[in-house]
Amino acid sequence: MITLEHDRLVFRFPEVHKDARCGIEFQRTLRIPDDGLDYPLPPGMGRFPLRHLDDYARRVPEEWLRRGGVLMPMHQAEAMWINFDCRGYPFAVKIATGKTCALTGEGWMNHLNTEPQDYAVLPEQPWLDGYCVAKGIVRQFVAMPLGQGYTVEEQLTGEAEHGGLQVIAYPMKAERYEEMISSESAGAPLPEAEAYSVVKSAPMGLAPGGRMRQEIYEDEYGLDAWDQRHASRCFVTIANSVQWMTLTGERPPTEAPTARAYASAGLPWFDYFGGDLTALAETEKLRGIASVADKGAGNGESPLPENESASVERVIPLRRRGSNQVREMSAEAASTP
Amino acid sequence: MTQFGTFVHTARRSLQEADRRYSLRQVAKRIGVEPGYLSKIERGQVAPPSEAATVRLAKELDQDPDVLLALGGKVSSDLQEVIRKRPRLFAQLIRELRDAPDQAVLRLVREVRDGDW
Repeated sequence: MITLEHDRLVFRFPEVHKDARCGIEFQRTLRIPDDGLDYPLPPGMGRFPLRHLDDYARRVPEEWLRRGGVLMPMHQAEAMWINFDCRGYPFAVKIATGKTCALTGEGWMNHLNTEPQDYAVLPEQPWLDGYCVAKGIVRQFVAMPLGQGYTVEEQLTGEAEHGGLQVIAYPMKAERYEEMISSESAGAPLPEAEAYSVVKSAPMGLAPGGRMRQEIYEDEYGLDAWDQRHASRCFVTIANSVQWMTLTGERPPTEAPTARAYASAGLPWFDYFGGDLTALAETEKLRGIASVADKGAGNGESPLPENESASVERVIPLRRRGSNQVREMSAEAASTP
Repeated sequence: MTQFGTFVHTARRSLQEADRRYSLRQVAKRIGVEPGYLSKIERGQVAPPSEAATVRLAKELDQDPDVLLALGGKVSSDLQEVIRKRPRLFAQLIRELRDAPDQAVLRLVREVRDGDW
């Protein structure tokens, strides 16, 4: 089952194991320059709001409603990363945009594949910032209107049909988990956290932005570890700011500062070291996708405002550890203009 | 130490092991309290802070605000408002669920609906 808690999708599988729980949230962030350079990981600036799509049933197009799931606002050309909050129980998670896998570029499938691996393994993978376009390199998730040819879905399928973001989570098989924890000397756990205007325009899709250093890790447990009889999935419809305000009556979050302004203020970026984990290589499909800036240049357009390169001086190294990694801009940094 | 203080101390120290920004002083600064006050909170020498400060602390430590409020003997204002609107119904519901197992309670929670896609 999936519940919506404090703008976080919480996946629980009590029928598999009482510990089988993970959270997935979408973090606001600055858009890194799409200039061909490789940047470190940008900060998190808080969660995007999420709402049950059903709450706006009479105001959304029929095809949005048919998909169910949740609604999330993004400004055009705004960037996002995905935070996996998994505190011990392993999960395999597939992420797609426009029903196109972010790790392989293949079309949506409701099962896991290993050749090539089309899922991330939690908790080893703390975050996903974009499309795997080279070993150790991703292109940032950037929101663009569906129908203009920038999204990965449109680049790989030639269609502007789905947009949004799709996620499916599979828990580890209970017996594998029990074997695993019985062979580990577990530390003391923390206490357990417990007359309408109808939107007619196209929703947003996600497109490949600038390059950053991020490894997607190989599954060290093996395909047989995952309980594919139990899975929960969710379609995240991305509304632009006007659609969001029309539907919810709320203002979307303000846009993040530019990468250049952020870096100039001496605020931190991040690098993550996964220890001895092996990074996945890119697939041919995703290696060939064009970034938003490159595609725009080919069309004689400038789709990314304020895309100047940034000089990054302050990078905080983060290392793999047992619990959730924190990669957020601190409160004093957030107040810096 | 109180349960609230122990929880906060354990969560903060766990984060501090990997990131020095989670020192007592820096966390106190970010949530807008004096370091000495946060230290007393962690040691259980003072009562848990206000609802707003508890929520800021929960967010800072990546914990569920409702859990931290509950450990501090509080219920969030928005939940109180929900109950005040239909007090009889919610009081009855909560009492009836008092001893229900988690799985039974979760069946009542609203799920994100998966559709056809």
